[in-house]
Amino acid sequence: MRLLVFSDIHGNLEALQCILRDAAGRNVHRSICLGDMVGYGPYPNECIEVLRSLKNCRCLAGNHDVAVSWKTSPYGMSSAAKEAILWTMDQLSDENKDYLATLPDRLDLADMTFVHANPYNPRGWRYVLDRKYALRSFAATRCRRLFIGHSHRPLIITRRHLLAIDLQAVSGSMRYRVDDTRRRIINCGSVGQPRDKDPRSCYLIFDSRKQELEFYRVAYDIEKSAKAIRSAGLPLELGKRLYRGI
Amino acid sequence: MTNERHGQISTTNLKQRFFLWSTLILLGGGLLLSALSFWNTRRLLMAEALAKSEVILQEVEAIRAYVKEELRPKMNELHGSDTFIIEAMSTTYISTTIMEHFSGFMPNYIYRRASLNPHNPRNLADSFEEEMFDWFEADSGRSFWQGVVKKNGEAYFISMVPDYLGTDCLPCHSKVEDAPQSLLDRYGSKGGFRYQTGDLAGIDSVAIPVSASLREAWRGSLVIFMITLGGSVVLLWLLNLLFQHLVIERLGVMLSLVIEKKRGTGAPGPGDELDVLHASLGSLRSYVRSARKGAALQPNFVGDYVVDRPIVAGAMSWLYSGYSVISNDKVALKLGFDEVLQNPLYRACLETELQLFETLSHPCLPGVRERIGDVLVVEEVQGRSLNSLLSSGRLADQSLLPVFEQLCDLTATFHAAGIVHHDLRPQILMLDEKESLRLIDMGLAASDQLPDPIVAAGLGPQGDLLYMAPELIQARRGDPRSDIYGLGVLLFLATTGHLPFSEGRKSAQKWLQHKEEITSPRKYRASLSLGLEQIILKALSYDKKKRYQWVEDLWEDLEREGRQFSENGEPG
Repeated sequence: MRLLVFSDIHGNLEALQCILRDAAGRNVHRSICLGDMVGYGPYPNECIEVLRSLKNCRCLAGNHDVAVSWKTSPYGMSSAAKEAILWTMDQLSDENKDYLATLPDRLDLADMTFVHANPYNPRGWRYVLDRKYALRSFAATRCRRLFIGHSHRPLIITRRHLLAIDLQAVSGSMRYRVDDTRRRIINCGSVGQPRDKDPRSCYLIFDSRKQELEFYRVAYDIEKSAKAIRSAGLPLELGKRLYRGI
Repeated sequence: MTNERHGQISTTNLKQRFFLWSTLILLGGGLLLSALSFWNTRRLLMAEALAKSEVILQEVEAIRAYVKEELRPKMNELHGSDTFIIEAMSTTYISTTIMEHFSGFMPNYIYRRASLNPHNPRNLADSFEEEMFDWFEADSGRSFWQGVVKKNGEAYFISMVPDYLGTDCLPCHSKVEDAPQSLLDRYGSKGGFRYQTGDLAGIDSVAIPVSASLREAWRGSLVIFMITLGGSVVLLWLLNLLFQHLVIERLGVMLSLVIEKKRGTGAPGPGDELDVLHASLGSLRSYVRSARKGAALQPNFVGDYVVDRPIVAGAMSWLYSGYSVISNDKVALKLGFDEVLQNPLYRACLETELQLFETLSHPCLPGVRERIGDVLVVEEVQGRSLNSLLSSGRLADQSLLPVFEQLCDLTATFHAAGIVHHDLRPQILMLDEKESLRLIDMGLAASDQLPDPIVAAGLGPQGDLLYMAPELIQARRGDPRSDIYGLGVLLFLATTGHLPFSEGRKSAQKWLQHKEEITSPRKYRASLSLGLEQIILKALSYDKKKRYQWVEDLWEDLEREGRQFSENGEPG
């Protein structure tokens, strides 16, 4: 079984379509979106509709998806994020708002767990980027592989023993074998707003037969997305950061 | 055997089973009775022999005591202390001689005085007695032994007591120079000396032959067995007459009606007459249910729809055909069973089913038109159930891949949406002329986003045990691999025309045992490819970790195998 895992689209329809086109040729059976379909980007409704029409795809709730449903306050976010959330609230159709409100925080599938940010406090939205939060995440689950997003940086964290981890940043497209018994946290990066200084969209495919993770970076028309951000009246910095991947 | 009376097709199966078991029980009872009789006779024989041997031994001991305490002192008084007359003063000589006379009258009582170092060589211990010397010497507290010993082909019951040397015996058994001359003259100086006080000088034993008595007991048991056997034959014959008259003939009449009815739909399933009747009563119950359901609708309308005849029964509901009175469109209506609607627990299952039909979209699921209360109106369902198609044999080779492609795709959609169906079986899969598959029931399905009422209520296994994965029989729900097992059973059935397990009423424990011992599909269809056999057996693994973990993997293997068939032109 080949599972497509992606996250943090943030209303960037151009990037979403590019990664879906790219993945379509890679024999994918199922898809899981780890949340944050909206926020920052100019096409929230379109992105949700694409994902809803995608066959065998499940989506989780991200902090931006929850914020547009007023389940958490957007006023704790950065000013650009807050402004984008308030804009998105006005744009979203009722049907899509209802859809976002019903999204689960966590999914368990065989020996895999999927969350947007972390499993120990899913709505705390803490980034898992260091040993402390990685160990907390390992302690909160019993799964072998934990897939996360949220930080917009593709990453593999391997638990060495009870108190130690190995942290490996993923750069570019690469394959990574996971056929041993070690537990791992896998961050699939971001589709619509990568922040690892590589502006290309990021996603991964997990192949259960080969026990392999395939990370892919896909270039998309950033100019088009940035222009749409400007046209929508969203903060200009949201378009500029797409070029630099930060 | 075919019995044509009253139009019966076969009424021997149940009878054969009844008489086989009756014969086994009667024979077993006869054997048990004989064995008990033999055991009891042997026990009584042994008790009697013990009592007799104890009397003889006490008698010998009394003779020895009399010689020691009365006769020997009197002889010393009369003839002086240096005199030793063996015939009147030796305890061993006197007791042995008296018992020899005794055995002249009573040959079945054999007394023997044995010693490792005797004056008289006749009393030298044999190999068995040597062993008993060791046994008594090993523990000075041992003062008696009894048991059955075989000597020269004859079984003897033997009782034994040890004889320890006293101070008064030392003159005859200590030093050769101190021994009386008469003793030396008779036996010489070779044996019977160098003893000390407290040494084990000899063993007195009484042997009673028991072989003849045991043979008698064995013959008695055999007679009892033969009488039981004869009685059993007579009893079985009488039971045969009675059973034939009271049960078989009447059952045959009922069965002929059932078989007549089933002739149009195919051969009766495996099992005896009661299984056939049970299955028929099940159909009858379904029919009555549907009739009741139809009758309960006054008139047979649900909203703007007319309810027509029932198509098939699911786990929680009936699917009826019907049509809209406004547009005249043909539809199907899903109506919960009466008992489901009255039971809050099953009603919750039905609610889950209806919600899943409403939210899921797949070509193999009938599209939902509308919901009216507890009734779901879906698009028309055409074709025949996979069950009725497979009742006449396996699926055509060219249909296998198209059907299973749809089925695997549907199952993958379920699993991707966090749904486990739990009840994949041919009765609820409809196949039309274009080989389009429709799943018309999800009564036992569970979604990871909805509470599972069956788990919450702690209910046992729900559904058809024949298609159920072992973990479902153990009431462990919610694992998508259970559906992969169900697909394995369907694949077995579709490729061979047979089920991997025999039907019939069994306990859950028995079903688990059956599921562990899976039959190879090549047993039913030798031309089946090895690859397909491996796929089926992997899908049917008892251990879910050894099964396909993902339905997509099953489909990929199946598709690859199917492609090879079409390239090689071999049967699939």
